[in-house]
Amino acid sequence: MRNSISKSLARLVSIATIVGFASVLKPSVANAQDVANGSATASVQAVLVVTSTAALVFGNVFQGVSKSISNANAAAGIFTITGQGLSGLSMYMQLPDYMSTATGDDRMVISFSATDASVDSTTNATPTTFGTGWQNTDPHNINAATTMGGGGQAALFLGGKVLPTVDQTAGAYTGDIILTVAYNGT
Amino acid sequence: MLNTELLTEKSLTQKPLSNVPSNLKEIPGECCTNTTRRGFLLGKYTLLSLLFLSILALRAGAGVLVAPTVVFISDKGRTGRITVQNPTDKPQEVTVFFSFGLPTSDSLGNVTVRLSDSSVTDPNSALGWVKAFPRKMVLQPNSSQVVRFRARPPKDLPEGEYWSRVVVRSQDGETSLPAPTEEGAITTKLNMIMQTAIMLKYRKGNLTPQLELTETSATIEGEKVSVMVAMKTNSNCSYVGTLACRLLDASDKEISHTSVQLAVYRQLTRRLELPLTDGDFTRPYHVEIGISTSGRKDIPAEDILPGNDLSRALAVQ
Repeated sequence: MRNSISKSLARLVSIATIVGFASVLKPSVANAQDVANGSATASVQAVLVVTSTAALVFGNVFQGVSKSISNANAAAGIFTITGQGLSGLSMYMQLPDYMSTATGDDRMVISFSATDASVDSTTNATPTTFGTGWQNTDPHNINAATTMGGGGQAALFLGGKVLPTVDQTAGAYTGDIILTVAYNGT
Repeated sequence: MLNTELLTEKSLTQKPLSNVPSNLKEIPGECCTNTTRRGFLLGKYTLLSLLFLSILALRAGAGVLVAPTVVFISDKGRTGRITVQNPTDKPQEVTVFFSFGLPTSDSLGNVTVRLSDSSVTDPNSALGWVKAFPRKMVLQPNSSQVVRFRARPPKDLPEGEYWSRVVVRSQDGETSLPAPTEEGAITTKLNMIMQTAIMLKYRKGNLTPQLELTETSATIEGEKVSVMVAMKTNSNCSYVGTLACRLLDASDKEISHTSVQLAVYRQLTRRLELPLTDGDFTRPYHVEIGISTSGRKDIPAEDILPGNDLSRALAVQ
């Protein structure tokens, strides 16, 4: 008797399991039918990509000795902009006046002159091999006529100068450089 | 290559297409079912532009991809979205916030967009009543995130178009200060922060852009002809389209042509330069100007508000 009850229970469990699996599998069957009737859907979106491929690097700096990096130097900062070719761009830079130590107990002057930026409207993203565009412009006031190159790319090269004092605390200094980019035709 | 998550909804799994009618266009990496996916495809667009080479170039850098470049929100749906992708091989810290800035021009016809975050008094500003979700995130390499926008405009908002700028700010998620390689030396670390400012437009009611030419001129400057076109809108929405110019000789033979994308929110002056190329051209020259809301490839046709077309012929001075 107990055996037959056990067998009945086992059968019930088996049936329930099969029904359970079937119910789980059902959407898959439906999905398979959906796939058979499916269509490919795609629409292209315009993109805007602003990226920094290299930071402005001064390397080792010594107390009392200022150091400049030109925008055509391999150590220049590099921003690249990718988007629709020949689009008009508005670019603004927020540049620091000082760099600070991690603890904030000392700071070092950093400056950017009116010729410290170059905007290359070709696909070139190497500061040492400038293509065409706006060379040696003011990073505080980037040319309003700036446009993306026909290849949908532009690059901004940035130089600068640090001026450590004679009693500048040795160590690492940090600061933020912000580039804001907007299309001016949308 | 772009992450396929960008091409399809993140929550969906790819399934093989079988028995698809041959007349249906198949795009590699993008397959959908009518019934299961349509519900998920909340926006109108699921595919981003395939900028393969540039994306490959970005892998070693820092920054994010933002698409689309204009967000449209209607008074019916009141929601919009953008996709932010990290195509680099480093985590990116991303912040989304709002600002305000319209294209404005100087007397030379140079166009700029100045952003302001506070004290915005423009009656068409949507600043303050559009929210973004999420506003802060860390995007892992090759991952993407949909940022949704929800508009809660004032109840008595008049019909018209209202504007704001969505600013997507990104920087390296991992930063470390370089140690000096010489004793007593000073090292520097400049954090390169990128901000992409795209336009957000909230539209209420039936809108028809109307543009008017207020002043035009064409003058020879060395080996080019400089064309100045001053415009203003006569409607409660922006005029977005193209401005095309053709430089012609006395017998209507084309010397050169150019066109620019145009977005006039109230008033704008654009300057275009047409090169005087060598050839058998007879004077006097003249310029044909054409302005239309068609011809834009960066904005889907259904989001372009059809407006009036304008044309004008100018004698070159």
